[in-house]
Amino acid sequence: MIEFNLDRGSGVSTYLQLVHQVKQALRLGTLRPGDQLPTAREVVESLAINPNTVLKAYRELEREGLVEGRPGMGTFVRQGIAGATLAEHTRLRRGLEAWVREARAAGLDQEDLRALFAVVLSDAAKEGVA
Amino acid sequence: MRPAMEATGLGVRYRRTWVLRDCSLSVPAGRVAALVGPNGAGKTTLMHAAVGLLKPALGSVRVAGEVAFVAQDKPLYESFTVAQMLAFGRRMNTRWDAAVAADRLAGLGIALERKVSGLSGGQRAQVAVTLALASRPDLLVLDEPLANLDPLARHDVMRSIMAEVAGRELTVLLSSHVVSDLEETCDWLVVLNGGRLQVSGDIEELLDGHLVLTGPDGVPAAGTRVVSASRTGRQVSMLVRGAPPLDPRWRARRPGLEELVMGYLRSPESAVLPHLAGVDA
Amino acid sequence: MIWVTWRQHRPQIFVTAAFLALLGALLLGSAVEASWYVSAHARPGCPEPALSCGDLAAALARRYDAVYSVFGWMPLVAPALIGAFWGAPLLGREYERGTHRLAWTQAVPVWRWLAVKLSVLGGAVVAGGLLLSLMVSLWRPVFRSGGDSTFGNIGVFNMVGVEPAAWWLYAFALGTAAGALFRRTLPAMALVVIGVTVTMFTLFRLSDHYAEPARVELSGTVVLDDRDARLVRAAWVEPSGREIAEPPDSGCARRVDVGQSGKNAEAWQACLFGKGYRYAVYYQPPSRFWRFQWTEAGILALASAALGGLAVRRTLRRPG
Repeated sequence: MIEFNLDRGSGVSTYLQLVHQVKQALRLGTLRPGDQLPTAREVVESLAINPNTVLKAYRELEREGLVEGRPGMGTFVRQGIAGATLAEHTRLRRGLEAWVREARAAGLDQEDLRALFAVVLSDAAKEGVA
Repeated sequence: MRPAMEATGLGVRYRRTWVLRDCSLSVPAGRVAALVGPNGAGKTTLMHAAVGLLKPALGSVRVAGEVAFVAQDKPLYESFTVAQMLAFGRRMNTRWDAAVAADRLAGLGIALERKVSGLSGGQRAQVAVTLALASRPDLLVLDEPLANLDPLARHDVMRSIMAEVAGRELTVLLSSHVVSDLEETCDWLVVLNGGRLQVSGDIEELLDGHLVLTGPDGVPAAGTRVVSASRTGRQVSMLVRGAPPLDPRWRARRPGLEELVMGYLRSPESAVLPHLAGVDA
Repeated sequence: MIWVTWRQHRPQIFVTAAFLALLGALLLGSAVEASWYVSAHARPGCPEPALSCGDLAAALARRYDAVYSVFGWMPLVAPALIGAFWGAPLLGREYERGTHRLAWTQAVPVWRWLAVKLSVLGGAVVAGGLLLSLMVSLWRPVFRSGGDSTFGNIGVFNMVGVEPAAWWLYAFALGTAAGALFRRTLPAMALVVIGVTVTMFTLFRLSDHYAEPARVELSGTVVLDDRDARLVRAAWVEPSGREIAEPPDSGCARRVDVGQSGKNAEAWQACLFGKGYRYAVYYQPPSRFWRFQWTEAGILALASAALGGLAVRRTLRRPG
């Protein structure tokens, strides 16, 4: 079972925090295939957040194939996250490091980078890429 | 989906002054709608019109199904016990879920034999909300439900309302002048300012459709519509609608709910309203 | 809804019932005591207006006055209290405490809330008034059997028949309407007290016109031989039959009396009667008791309906 908690000052939208926490738990193995996620009502009762936010997070996870909703029973974990292979990881990281160096040279600081990254990520999320 | 509440051309007047005018909006069923605006914006008036406590001079408000209302001061009968307040609710309503009411109050540790006059502010609010929820409304209207409550009580009240929304088809319209109270709980936004409707729409869509741009003053932000701008020296910070400008001198980010609301309240002439009365959920 | 009405207005209902019970006990006690006194002291054939029963009549009158003085103000005070504590808070307290926003946003529509409250409480008030009337009507004959009816004394008239019920209902409606107008209890209570007082004096003056007064021409005396009649006015009549407003300028000397004595006035009147003048008295005979009762009750009932209608209209137009 997973217990959600919110970082209200983070600026990350609530539903994304929920999605991240489930993924994190899948990566760490605290959630395994067949486990049930808490119902929207349970989440809402502990966090005082909008139930649609929980449903939206679960839909997102469902869309990614990580969980499945069984009508009248709840939402269950379908598969763990294998994640990208280590080699893939390293390759992507190299690319990102090169990009950061380039941005630094162009005069962007830590904050700029973060903002730019966030904007691109959210745009990508909107277009359904991420 | 059928709207849970729909106002068309609503106008309300106290003597000669219009406190609400030309107000057309709809809240889709199942939403938790935040009604925000400065004091005197017409929030309470809109709510009173919705629950039938006043008759509009112009236009109409339609509500689908039963409505429950909790007024700002959480009125209860001082001389009643909590149990008698529940008996009041049972006799004044056609639908009444006695078990829900009893369970809720037991869960909150509010004894039924307590006198209403001896309850704390938070407990009063909980009893008032319990009465409203036990009448199984389709639309729950709450006027400043969190005002005068300590943070713990605010959290508790919101938790119970959200749990009810999760449990069944319930639409909530709640007002507040503190936007940060609503960030996590509401998914629909209605902004009233000076008796006029400024914003009405899905919060995620609104936030996605707006940007906060920061950059040097005087640089055009092509492709955006400026909602409001504030200048400090040669720098300008703007709330805009549209896609981020390509000009690298602009730094763009998604606004927070509070920034969005403040941006609109600062420039009362701006508005973002749906074109059609019936908004899809 | 009836339970809600009962629970909200329990204190008023209790206090009024206790008051009526207390009054009933007082009346019953004094009546029993008086009848013991009569059976112990009365000579055969008494009590009666006959002169031989004078001692007994005086003793009974003392007993009667003792109790009457306790509630002599009741025709005015009781309706004022009913209006202030049953009528004024009905809407006034809901508004001032903000509970109208609770009561009128439940499934029960506002008009039904009003209808139930007005009819249940109005009914209770009428029942209370009738009970008071019944108690006073049973108590009074013990002292006054054969003496007088209840017509001449306006205070007693207002405590018997349908009068108390009509007055209580009127005060209740007035209080309710005042509460709806002021949206506060205290000013509504003040208006009830003023309103009931003003209405009582207005109707007292108006009551002369409930029916065309009877007229009788007296000769030899200016006192009507019916102590229970209501005098409307009187005038001297010339020998020619013409009524004159001022005391006649007939040559009879009129000297001012000193102190309690009425000797000079009597001498003057005797002189006038001697010259053929008569004294015309316009009055309402006690046989018109029920006609007056129903007329006044009708006026008050109509006023109550109008005030109730005003309260309802006011409330439904802007419940918030």
